[in-house]
Amino acid sequence: MAGYGLLSPALLIMVAMLALPIAALVLLSFWRQSGYTLDTTLTGANYARIFGLSDSPTVWMGIPFYLAYPVPVILLIKSLMMSLTATVTVIPLAYPMAYFIAFRVRSGKSIWILLLTIPFWTSYLLRVFAWKIMLGYTGAINSGLMALGIIHHPLDALLYNSGAVTVVLAHSWVSFAVLPIYVSLEKIDRSLLEAASDLGDTRWQRFRRITLPLSMPGVIAAALMVFIPTVGDYVTPTLIGGSGGSMVGNLIQDLFMKRNNAPMGAAVAIVMMAVIALIALLFVWLTGYHKMRARRR
Amino acid sequence: MKKLKFIDRMAQGKVSRRQMLQSAGAFGVGALMLPKLADAAGVLTCLEWGGYDDPKYYESYLKRYGQKPNFSIFAGEEDALAKVLAGFKADVMHPCNYSVSRFVNAGLAVPIDTSRLSNWKDLFPSLQTAQGVVIKDQIMMAPADWGNAAIAYRPDLIDDKFKADPSWSIFYDEAYKNKVSMVDDPVAITIGAMVGGMSYDEAYLLNGDALKKATDNWGKRAVDVSRILWADPTDAEQAMAAGEIVAAYSWNGLVKDLHDQGIKVAYAHPKEGYFTWFCGLTLLDSGKADPAQAYDFIDAWLSPDTGKALIAQGYGHSNIKSFSVANPADVAAMGITDPVKMMEQSIVFKSTPDDVQVAQNKAWGDVKALKL
Repeated sequence: MAGYGLLSPALLIMVAMLALPIAALVLLSFWRQSGYTLDTTLTGANYARIFGLSDSPTVWMGIPFYLAYPVPVILLIKSLMMSLTATVTVIPLAYPMAYFIAFRVRSGKSIWILLLTIPFWTSYLLRVFAWKIMLGYTGAINSGLMALGIIHHPLDALLYNSGAVTVVLAHSWVSFAVLPIYVSLEKIDRSLLEAASDLGDTRWQRFRRITLPLSMPGVIAAALMVFIPTVGDYVTPTLIGGSGGSMVGNLIQDLFMKRNNAPMGAAVAIVMMAVIALIALLFVWLTGYHKMRARRR
Repeated sequence: MKKLKFIDRMAQGKVSRRQMLQSAGAFGVGALMLPKLADAAGVLTCLEWGGYDDPKYYESYLKRYGQKPNFSIFAGEEDALAKVLAGFKADVMHPCNYSVSRFVNAGLAVPIDTSRLSNWKDLFPSLQTAQGVVIKDQIMMAPADWGNAAIAYRPDLIDDKFKADPSWSIFYDEAYKNKVSMVDDPVAITIGAMVGGMSYDEAYLLNGDALKKATDNWGKRAVDVSRILWADPTDAEQAMAAGEIVAAYSWNGLVKDLHDQGIKVAYAHPKEGYFTWFCGLTLLDSGKADPAQAYDFIDAWLSPDTGKALIAQGYGHSNIKSFSVANPADVAAMGITDPVKMMEQSIVFKSTPDDVQVAQNKAWGDVKALKL
């Protein structure tokens, strides 16, 4: 009971700010919009609409979708692919940074960690706008390349597509990925590394057989920390993506606002949440996260 | 227990949207749907287009009350409508002749008592009785500003073919891919259908299979060809200033702004026709401020001083006196200063029935979402 007493402030906040809103969203997703009002009879029509089948496929990127209303599913798949790409980019960028701080920095580690947080001293919006200046038509990259004589016309392809969104997502989330990897590297017992060297491992073998496996929990945590929030991102695709780079978050916003169909928006949001939860669970299970944790004890 | 009763009624569908939102709001749950809570009673809240919150458009109001109203900026009337439907409280809204009926049909607008507006008697009589101003024998919108929608282009960058024969078709032509910017609005489908030979009177009512066909063809092309679909005119303005795009769907103000920056820009009237809109102020039923304040705000918008500022931006105004106090050079630059003449020469935007508007919003949203 004492444990629950300690937990209660956090628990209260979680219930009020997380569980209740999600419950409201679930309820909303079983209602329907009829004209200007909500029809509050419970119905699964919104979900049926998302997954309703059709005989004539909509072809998107060469893949036929046999769905009557394929937009949410296609956008969800597109968002998942974009987040996955960002995650796969982030981990190799973050790992060396974390490795450097954990093993190479001898004094003043806290200063290095403080340096990592500098991007968060400015608003996320400003960082995204900064990328607009980098990638823009008259931006830094285009004018740099023109000045060097490599190109003669500014490149169109830098901005307003899913590639640009993925780059910005990867950049914005690198710092988040460094910390969990750093923590798991820091916790590695240094005597294990000495033992490996004493028994004849080369530096590469030592990394592959000791350091990497023992830091995997941090890598997995970092991957989830980047993957989960980026799927539903809304700001980045709005500013950087143009119409070609829109993600499922943009559809949800559009449904709630312009299309005035909040129940459908809620249903798409719930489907997105469920799919992300499933993928995260699958990922944790496939990588044997529990076994890894057990080994470390 | 009250709580159980509520759940009971909810399950039976006896709870209205407003009650539900109120209850949800009590738990903080409604925060999702209430983007910004209206400030304490007393201060006027106005739903406004980007750029129209400039104090030069309501000087007399500012003088009298000493502070600006609270503005909530929207990118299109449908956004504003969704916001009010979700519980946002506002006193005044700035719709246009073709969109005001959406607010009236939704039961959100209140008729205007013109005897409380000192400037009403000076308005163009044709606007006082225009469709959209008067709905079911009641004044639902006080007309204020009017202007056009046509094509702004960079004469120094665009090809001669367009200059010789301006046409809306450039927004649907692969040859102009990434060089133009259409507005982020279902009107892109309507105009596409007009390029395809349909009349406006037929195209603005597109629905059902015909809408699907037009969207798959013209809507998709508009999305593919445009560098950006602008929601805020400054987006198009910046892209045009940089030379990133050479032409854009635009209102009069953009041309004036770019011209003032010393950028070569012209305003083409395409062969399929150009559009006229007129907008104004509508009273909403959810406001918390004293209605007298709302009337003073609307009256400020109808004043010749506001007209002068609008004319300087290249727009028209509803007050006849505005044209005598405005800078003569600005009046001359407008060309046509009589709204009736303007409406005869161009296509006046019409209001689409609710079900058609909803279908068009959906079609446009979906075709945008599927762009690679």
